[in-house]
Amino acid sequence: MTTQTLDPTALPNLAEQRPQRPWRKRTPRFKLAVVLAVIIPAVVTWFLWQTSTIPTPVLLVAIYLPMQLIASTLASIVTRGRRGIADSIVIVSAIGATVFSLVILLSLIGALIVRGWKALSPSFLLQNNIYISPSTPLEYGGIGHAVLGTALIVFLASLVAVPIGIATAIYITEVRGRAVPYVRFFVQSMSGVPSVVAGLFILTTLIVTGALTQSALAGGLAYAILMLPTVARTAEEVLRLVPDELRTGALALGSTRARTVFRVVLPAARTGIVTAIILGIARIIGETAPLLLAAGNSDQTILNPTGSPVASLPTYIFNNVALPYPDAVTRAWGAALALMIFVAILFTLARVLSRGRLGR
Amino acid sequence: MADLDVQERRNLSASATAHRGDRIFNRTITTAAFSALFVLAGIAIFLGAQTIPVLQTQGLSFLTTTAWDINTDPPTAGIWGMLYGSVLLAVVALVIAVPASLMMSIFMVFLAPKKLASMLTNLIDLMAAIPSVILGLWAFYVLNPTAEVWQQLLNQYLGWIPIFQNASGNFLGTPFIAGFVLAIMMIPIVTSVTREVLSRTPPDLVNASEALGCSMWTMLRYVALPYGRGGIVGGIMLGLGRALGETIAVFFVLKIVFDTNWYNIIESGGGSVATLIVSRFGEISGPYELQLLLASGFFLFIMTLIVNVLANLIVNRTGRLQK
Repeated sequence: MTTQTLDPTALPNLAEQRPQRPWRKRTPRFKLAVVLAVIIPAVVTWFLWQTSTIPTPVLLVAIYLPMQLIASTLASIVTRGRRGIADSIVIVSAIGATVFSLVILLSLIGALIVRGWKALSPSFLLQNNIYISPSTPLEYGGIGHAVLGTALIVFLASLVAVPIGIATAIYITEVRGRAVPYVRFFVQSMSGVPSVVAGLFILTTLIVTGALTQSALAGGLAYAILMLPTVARTAEEVLRLVPDELRTGALALGSTRARTVFRVVLPAARTGIVTAIILGIARIIGETAPLLLAAGNSDQTILNPTGSPVASLPTYIFNNVALPYPDAVTRAWGAALALMIFVAILFTLARVLSRGRLGR
Repeated sequence: MADLDVQERRNLSASATAHRGDRIFNRTITTAAFSALFVLAGIAIFLGAQTIPVLQTQGLSFLTTTAWDINTDPPTAGIWGMLYGSVLLAVVALVIAVPASLMMSIFMVFLAPKKLASMLTNLIDLMAAIPSVILGLWAFYVLNPTAEVWQQLLNQYLGWIPIFQNASGNFLGTPFIAGFVLAIMMIPIVTSVTREVLSRTPPDLVNASEALGCSMWTMLRYVALPYGRGGIVGGIMLGLGRALGETIAVFFVLKIVFDTNWYNIIESGGGSVATLIVSRFGEISGPYELQLLLASGFFLFIMTLIVNVLANLIVNRTGRLQK
């Protein structure tokens, strides 16, 4: 080997070059086999669907799927020999599983829009439910009280869960005490607490003992139990992304540790912290069981956090679902659509924010 | 270098400075950090305290028998059928959700073009964000009629298999439908974990196996799946914990019966502890019944806690091994 200084600019940039994969070359024969394997079963199934009386699920599961499997297997045998059999099964079932999940998701969102749209109107979003019976026509009454109730409960939950959740994250990333692995473990275990158990806990500690009645505050506390782990875990991930140089710099300038956290670390991670709060809210906003136990239900607009049961979107849906009145059921779909829109807004907001510098 | 006596790089945030405000800060944060422990312990203690009198009056038969006769004297109650029912629903959900999520994550990691994969990731996350009450509403009005047809067909063609027997002719409110709904809740949870785990398979190993002439199946079987095994099992158990504790979605599609439905998954009637609590709470008869519900909640809590702790241990251990 001669010693030679390598000029880095003369070398091809290996990182930017796409890896060549000669073993993945697609010959025309391969393409033809794949196209035929996709088209033939679909056409035959469509033909049978048009002409025969076989029920659609049977047609799909008992005729289309086996036919597709056989066709793909044959295609892979033609192109790659017997070794291709397992591959074709993996590919067909992988695509099948993805289509299965997407069909469910589309069916759900489609049903929400088709059935809920009829109910949505400005008055539906703003009015409350006093003087409304299940058989009252759709023009009257609405979910205004439930929207406000949900907002109130979520706000109270955030008041409790956000500071504690962020403090937990600060303990893990900034204070770094000896108990860090244990704290993380407790937070993880807490995220598995079933929502109905959180409701029962508030019921037995606060409501049965008489400290609170069924109210927004009790519901908010039950929500806080579910919200805390999400906030803590997301905030921890975000604080981890703050470069250590910022902490070192602040400490070197003589700031105390508390000041470092409040003036440097938290502001540097503020979009991430907001994302953590939003994800926490999205996690809890649709939970029903804790509110059935701890917050009760009401037909009136109630803004008093204590003293009286309060309505919320999930309990409103819950109470209208199985009523034998078409208008009540449409109201439930309308409320569900509204709730899903709120969730989707929170979800998109979290996505957009986390696209920023520190959220990633 | 050795004689220079350079101080070791100090662990920057290990302890508070002498500053008084800092000590208060440290103490406050540490206290707050333990709130998760306080809540977990609080749940165990307060629900456990309500469980003791129930076990005193009902004995261990509270766990081993199935009954809910509150108005007799003395009242008898047993939640075996509910505990078993929760597990049966979870098993049905696992059988549907695990292959579906595993296959979907394989599709997203190894088969789909990058753009499609990231779009699917977003859709799966959106699916995870669907509130369970909306899922229940959908299941009650959209899934129920469809699933009724499927189950009739299963019964018609595969009725000779014991699990597909149905004597009543009623195909609604079955563990199969409830398990299916739970599977829909589990799929996004399991998929997001398995996708993450599979995508961390070192690309060198994947490319090397392909260069050696491995087919995709061989690569999955000998490289990707063994590499991600721990994470995949952990993800499945996280989903299982969620399925065991789910209340509302099951409430709408399962007919709760106080009888053990051992394996007839397309026969109407089954059990679920979480759903029992909500369905009985609506028409509660008195303080004793509330105590029974709190005790049921205690056992539900213990059951899900065990599953979750195991899941987290597995996930954490594989996380460490891979680093």
